[in-house]
Amino acid sequence: MPSNPSRSNSCRFEGCTLTGALTVTTSVRDSVTVVHGPAGCAHHNFSLLHSTGLDHDCITVPHILSSGLLDTEIIFGGEKALGQAIASAVSRRPKSVFVLSTCIAETIGDDVTAVCGSGWDVPVIPIPTAGFLGGSFQAGVNNALTTIAGMAQPCRNDGGINIIGEKNLEYEVEQNYAEVVRLLSLLGLPVNLRFIHNLSTAEIMGVGKASLNILRDEGVAGVGERLFRQCGTPFIPAFPTGLLGTIAFLDRTADACGVQSRTAVLEELAIQESMLDDFSDIAGSCISVDHLMNGCPDYSFIHDVTEALHISVKPEGTRVPLPVSAPVGTAGVRRMLHRWRRAIHA
Amino acid sequence: MPDNMIMMKQIALYGKGGIGKSTTAANLSAALALQGFDVLQIGCDPKRDSTRMLMHGSFIPTVMDLVRERGDAKITLDEIVYTGFHGVRCVEAGGPEPGVGCAGRGIIATFQMLEKFGALSGDVIVYDVLGDVVCGGFAMPMREGYAQEIYLVTSGELMSLYAANNICKAIKRLSQRSKSTCRLAGVICNSKNMPREEELVTEFARLVNSTLVQYIPRDRMIQVAEIHKKTVVEYAPDSPQAAQYQALAECVMTNTHLTVPTPIDIDALESLALEFMQV
Repeated sequence: MPSNPSRSNSCRFEGCTLTGALTVTTSVRDSVTVVHGPAGCAHHNFSLLHSTGLDHDCITVPHILSSGLLDTEIIFGGEKALGQAIASAVSRRPKSVFVLSTCIAETIGDDVTAVCGSGWDVPVIPIPTAGFLGGSFQAGVNNALTTIAGMAQPCRNDGGINIIGEKNLEYEVEQNYAEVVRLLSLLGLPVNLRFIHNLSTAEIMGVGKASLNILRDEGVAGVGERLFRQCGTPFIPAFPTGLLGTIAFLDRTADACGVQSRTAVLEELAIQESMLDDFSDIAGSCISVDHLMNGCPDYSFIHDVTEALHISVKPEGTRVPLPVSAPVGTAGVRRMLHRWRRAIHA
Repeated sequence: MPDNMIMMKQIALYGKGGIGKSTTAANLSAALALQGFDVLQIGCDPKRDSTRMLMHGSFIPTVMDLVRERGDAKITLDEIVYTGFHGVRCVEAGGPEPGVGCAGRGIIATFQMLEKFGALSGDVIVYDVLGDVVCGGFAMPMREGYAQEIYLVTSGELMSLYAANNICKAIKRLSQRSKSTCRLAGVICNSKNMPREEELVTEFARLVNSTLVQYIPRDRMIQVAEIHKKTVVEYAPDSPQAAQYQALAECVMTNTHLTVPTPIDIDALESLALEFMQV
């Protein structure tokens, strides 16, 4: 049965494989995802994805179709209903169809892979899921990414960078991406594609073109390894976190791509110094870390920030919030310090 | 709940596949009907052949067949209950084709439908259940409100006793639930003509805290009756074999010895078989 690797990320990442895989497959914009199970499994996930879109000021209608299993299909087998749902999906002329399964489909032993393989006009790709029986949210994300990576074709390396496994439900998904793009631009490196965030099926095929993959975090390490085996693309295991981490990221990325990092590092150090100057008003304060505000349990990433601003961390200090996941890049640290400032001056 | 439900006897026959549960159930139902009881026999096996001899060889449409064809909304009671020999009402749960879906869920759905129609009525309901209690669905007849009295059908063969012992485990587990009324009512020996078989099964019954309620000898008359698409009770009512089923019917109606079984471990079961077997 599933185990959630992070007890604190309860807001959006506690679902089953189905939710995890849907955050990936619904980001392929010209595809339809068929959820093989009762209508409710599709409904709840549709609602989550739709409301998360609203949080990001974006009205999204995820392309999800349910095979709508009822008691009758549970008893007699649901493969026929799945076939009908796939046919309905294919009739909408998508470029690809992804098929995810639920607990009950797995329990009664429907052969999802066989139904997907029965000669459709567009690629119909089963993603190993099976609801909670298949594991955790993260397992669903990884299974979707690795399965879809299998669609990629070998192609010529054109020097771009792939961003792999972004947390599409993360509140700061766009800010984090923008920050990584900014850091890469300091090194003169362009982004090839975001695997998978708002991609077309055709674009997926080009995932092998990059010279380096940057993974969102260690949770998708398996995807990085898969792409390395398949396309030979090396990878950086996580987005940069903290001030020192951001500088290290520049060095490591430059190394991997065979470019010089010195100018970029100096430039970034100047940006960090100027950013810290902006927060001179809270320098020398005393804070305590607020675990009640959904903070990340491992907050070692704040050490270089507190040190740079001579902020002491003591139990009697002002309680400040921590982000759900470690702040990405210098911009992430800046957003965190803004929140600290509001708490300190409150 | 109608008043007569209080007096209604609900019994279930469990045992290894092929041991003769359906033959025993059909002959028992026929014998009970001849004794004047209003009997309902429910076949709870996707093989759907429980009531065939009572229906003179015809396979009646199963509840699940009708659900599959029409959905459960448009089905009426008289489409699922068929009257066979001497007024015995017959129902077959049916189920999915072998290898797909979930037969256990089919049993649960059938029971829900029979409840909805108020079909579970009469003096005696005989549930004839799949050989192994493979999942919760096949334990449905043992649940609250259904069969209170479980009869194990077994021969003296080790694997048959093994299956019976496993069913004891299920009864024991279910009987521990607070409202459960499900109990082991006895062991029926459907003989394979093994030497000392009756002694062996009697001893097995004692070990699992029950009794042998009827020893049914192996008799060619059963096969002869089946060729004529009848129960032996109907085909040869004056035969010694029919008398066995009449005796079983009397025993079932007067039996008050209901127990929580004490299943034995495999070593004890093997020792028992060895003790009675001629090597």
